[in-house]
Amino acid sequence: MSPQKASTKAQTARKAALKGTQGQKVKKIRTTSAFRLPKTLRLARKPKYERKAAPRFATLDQYSVLKQPLNTETAMKKIEDDNTLVFLVDVRANKRHIKDAVKKLYDVDAAKINTLIRPDGIKKAYIRLPADVDALDVANKIGFI
Amino acid sequence: AKVKVANLREKSQAELTQTLDQYKRELMDLKVQQVAGAAAAKSSKVRDVRRNVARVLTVITQQARQEVREKVSGKKYIPKDLRAKKTRALRRALTKSELARKTLRQQKKEDNFPVREFAIKA
Repeated sequence: MSPQKASTKAQTARKAALKGTQGQKVKKIRTTSAFRLPKTLRLARKPKYERKAAPRFATLDQYSVLKQPLNTETAMKKIEDDNTLVFLVDVRANKRHIKDAVKKLYDVDAAKINTLIRPDGIKKAYIRLPADVDALDVANKIGFI
Repeated sequence: AKVKVANLREKSQAELTQTLDQYKRELMDLKVQQVAGAAAAKSSKVRDVRRNVARVLTVITQQARQEVREKVSGKKYIPKDLRAKKTRALRRALTKSELARKTLRQQKKEDNFPVREFAIKA
């Protein structure tokens, strides 16, 4: 036998004697005593069919938010003195909804909005307009003076 | 003024949403007018405009669903709200073909020994 072949044979024999011929079990080294949830593969959804055929419209669109303006005596006072408009508003609307609705429907920015819920369950919004816009003009333009 | 649904059905989705906007605007203006002074705005007009909004929305939904139906026709799985509603029990029941299934043994028996009909000559 050639010297190389002889040495490899000897080496494999040595290995077999020390480590056995079946192969060894690889034991994972655990550095903590706790067994935490292993991270597994999480696939994204790939539905075979849409559950709903056509999506529904948003029920609280800008037309549903503002219900009607108020023209009571107190409300008129607010328009003249405080440059605010007073609106009755959907209960589910929040100040952001109201601001967007006013912007889209009447093209007016709101400086700030205060809301309250009246005892009869309807939400009232005091929409303060910025100083450069006149609330009386806007009210005339809307048409409820 | 009642909008004619036949006219609505000819429009495209974009045009329909525009029409919808227009009617909702009209409704809003009417409501404002009511607050201002009820004499000018007729209360019947509000009703008509509300119904018009409903008609436009109906046509929009019908068209959208029709589009989806055409798109999924022939496929194995279709959206659940396009499937036949029937009742929960009926949907889970065996289909006609499943009920009519026979074993080979039974089929052979029926083939070889069919029910005979006899008539007595008067």
